[in-house]
Amino acid sequence: MKSAWGWFLLTPPLVLALVFFVVPLVYLFWVSLHASSTSELYGAALTLRNYTDVLGDSFYLTIVRRTLGVAAVILGLCLVIGYPVAYFVALLPVRRRMLAILLLLFPLMVSNVVRAYGWVSLLERRGVVNTTLRDLHLIDAPLDLLYTPSAVVIALMTILLPYMVISIANTLAALDRRYQEAAQALGASPLRTFLHVTLPLSTPGVASGTLLVFLLTLSAYVTITLLGGPRSKLLVSLVYDSVTAFQWPRAAALAFVLLALALAFTGLILALLRPGRVQGAAR
Amino acid sequence: MKVELTAGPMLRGAATIVAFALIVVPIVIVVVAAFSPNDYFQFPPPGLSIRWFVEFFGLQTMRSAFALSIELALASATIATILGTFAALFLARRHGAIAALLQSLFLAPLVFPTIILGVALLLLYKTIGMPVFPGLLLAHCVVGLPYGFRTVLASAQALDPALEEAGQSLGADPLRTLFLVTLPLIWPGVLSGWLFAFIVSFGELNTALFLTGPGVTTLPIEIFSYLQFQGSQLVIAAASSVQIALIVILVAVIERVVGIARITRAR
Amino acid sequence: MNAVGSDMQHPADVQLVGVRKRFGAVAAVNDVSVDIERGTIFSLLGPSGCGKTTTLRLVAGFEQPDAGDVYIRGARVTSMPPYRRDFSMVFQSYALFPHLTVAENVAFGPRMRRVARGDRARSVDEALELVKLRALADRYPRQLSGGQQQRVALARAIVVKPAVLLLDEPLGALDKLLREEMQVELRSLQQRLGITAVFVTHDQEEALTLSDRVAVMRNGVIEQIGAPREIYDRPRNAFVASFLGASNFIDGVVVGREAASIVVETPGTRVSVPGDKASGERVRIAVRPERLRMARADAQGLPATIRDIVYRGPVTHFYMDSASGPLLAYQQNARAGDWTIGDEVRCAWDPDSAVVLDGARE
Repeated sequence: MKSAWGWFLLTPPLVLALVFFVVPLVYLFWVSLHASSTSELYGAALTLRNYTDVLGDSFYLTIVRRTLGVAAVILGLCLVIGYPVAYFVALLPVRRRMLAILLLLFPLMVSNVVRAYGWVSLLERRGVVNTTLRDLHLIDAPLDLLYTPSAVVIALMTILLPYMVISIANTLAALDRRYQEAAQALGASPLRTFLHVTLPLSTPGVASGTLLVFLLTLSAYVTITLLGGPRSKLLVSLVYDSVTAFQWPRAAALAFVLLALALAFTGLILALLRPGRVQGAAR
Repeated sequence: MKVELTAGPMLRGAATIVAFALIVVPIVIVVVAAFSPNDYFQFPPPGLSIRWFVEFFGLQTMRSAFALSIELALASATIATILGTFAALFLARRHGAIAALLQSLFLAPLVFPTIILGVALLLLYKTIGMPVFPGLLLAHCVVGLPYGFRTVLASAQALDPALEEAGQSLGADPLRTLFLVTLPLIWPGVLSGWLFAFIVSFGELNTALFLTGPGVTTLPIEIFSYLQFQGSQLVIAAASSVQIALIVILVAVIERVVGIARITRAR
Repeated sequence: MNAVGSDMQHPADVQLVGVRKRFGAVAAVNDVSVDIERGTIFSLLGPSGCGKTTTLRLVAGFEQPDAGDVYIRGARVTSMPPYRRDFSMVFQSYALFPHLTVAENVAFGPRMRRVARGDRARSVDEALELVKLRALADRYPRQLSGGQQQRVALARAIVVKPAVLLLDEPLGALDKLLREEMQVELRSLQQRLGITAVFVTHDQEEALTLSDRVAVMRNGVIEQIGAPREIYDRPRNAFVASFLGASNFIDGVVVGREAASIVVETPGTRVSVPGDKASGERVRIAVRPERLRMARADAQGLPATIRDIVYRGPVTHFYMDSASGPLLAYQQNARAGDWTIGDEVRCAWDPDSAVVLDGARE
């Protein structure tokens, strides 16, 4: 009787998650191991060519390198700007802190296409930045700010910054102030307290923020397309292009290369930062 | 911390101002542009006009995209929340490796690159011949499931387990306990889960990119197509502002009903 | 239906027969059998982790036994879910429904039993009157004090007139004064209503005050069952003896046998103790501190030296050293002698005051 009730609760969500999440991904992987076909979705022969083609081709490797480079810059900026902001927010009194987090949550709820469009309006040739610079007579001809990797970096960085800030701020705010007080009682200056106590204890927040930003950077197709244009394609753009060209095995392989990058990075962060060892530091 | 580096707070304050500006300015620009009376955006704007909103609601494609987005969000949020609530009730008091695995499964769509899910689902749908709207709906249910699950799980776990046992000791079977004891006490979690799932579905792009079709488009995809093929027209600003306005209203509703503390902790 | 092993003259309302429950590798309840008579208060007493709460939850049905059976009023309920068993429970945290008023909380049970609205209101009224909280019927639990919440929990449990009332450390969260007050009220309520009650506590004073019978548990096993006086005066082993209060332990050898007692030689004295052991056997006897009489050095008895004197209000504790080990004696201050630290004394007690302990279960 208890287990019947349990099954009643578990089955519907489990079916949804398995049939429309796990199964499609397994199927996609299966397809990535097949040859291409012009008449069907994919050919009959099993092959690893899709992967070897991608990993061997300098074109694809350039794209992968560019993708990782963009992601690295975005991550760096998010960390450098995000950490001090998170610290600021964490120190606010409770009500104001919650208001600040709400203000950060709000942009995340606005669709990425809208936020990307905002940057397009800012950076395009007739956009706010160019018009203002021209009105101030700082430049004569409009600058080509759009359709560059830098545009992608700037836009994506601001779109993803709230994730980083909220992750770190929540961890910092939950830290028991007594750890810092203990350090100071033992003679550590504020800077050393920060470096040796606060920073290490904030690793769970830094780790989750970093992972979130990286993963979202990898899959931010719309922003990358709108701000990067046809010349600044990243890995996810290639996935989309393959799908529209009906090259399913190629698309599948590219998708899993993307996934492999995500997994590898996750492993790296978990190994480097080891957020698990500070479990229990929160109040 | 009472003792601080004097440079520290100033740096942090400066960083915060810069960050908030960078985050908020693009959104503000869009809203301001939507009220522009001219054909192109001018900053500062010479006046205010609602012509672009009129045009937005005048365009059949925009209207139906907006309507579809609302329908889709309503349906997927409801399904995701019901299923998420079931999952949360199941896992609330269970521990162990399998419970942890199930929890990870239900939360996975949060961090998993949804664009890959979109590709995978499109492939699956093409193989089995799934019609467009149900396919899109199911995709949004998967994407929304973690939101319906997470907040309800937190609420359910915060409940004193003795309360459900008390209900049973007084003669309430599991179903009556659920409706008379558990649900009345976890409904804020359920409601905020629903609202988050709605908001996420309304703004979702990555799966909709692949799973929409002729006649079945969502508002974000419509905006994206416009931007890609017809350039930066201000009707897009109006469309975007409508989306932003809806979000503002919903967030205000969540805040009223559930309280600011619950929203910010839910993250 | 005849209940297993019950005497028709004294029907057992609750029976546990050979019940076992494991959690992982730990046997929380290990072959427990208990008969609880109708209309009595029965307590499960023991330290944390002894299995008393698990036993209670097995009666309730919140846990299923791995072996053995549970009977309520003669019916075998072992595989029945809690909501079908005839019991109600007062939880340690009270578990009052926060979204319902006091009256609605109390009305919950009758509502489940589909009692008509008019009758329901009347029962709720009566129950609240019994716990003297009628005036607070429309308040919410969060507006009540701890003691008031506890009463509401009680009212909610008794309004359904259950076959057995289960209480899980019901007075644990109350301060000492309130707790003693509630103990008296609980007992009088139970006797007025004639309900069979089983409660769990780690407080031996509470168990001795409230119960008709006590089961002392340790590591999933019942060490001893009996009326409070019986288990206090005649503990079976050192564990029960120490758990119910302080005790002096004196080791010796049996050197002779009399009618119903044995003569035990201990370092320093020779005493007669009720019991039946073979000559030459090593035994441990227990004597309660309040039974230990102290006399001047010229009297008969176990020689001891006073090491420390602690004044405790109504009594004074005397800590002494003797050849038989450390000794503790309580003296009522109304009749205390004039002792100082370092005094030589002779300790004696009535033969009936001492108990031979079961050495096998140390």
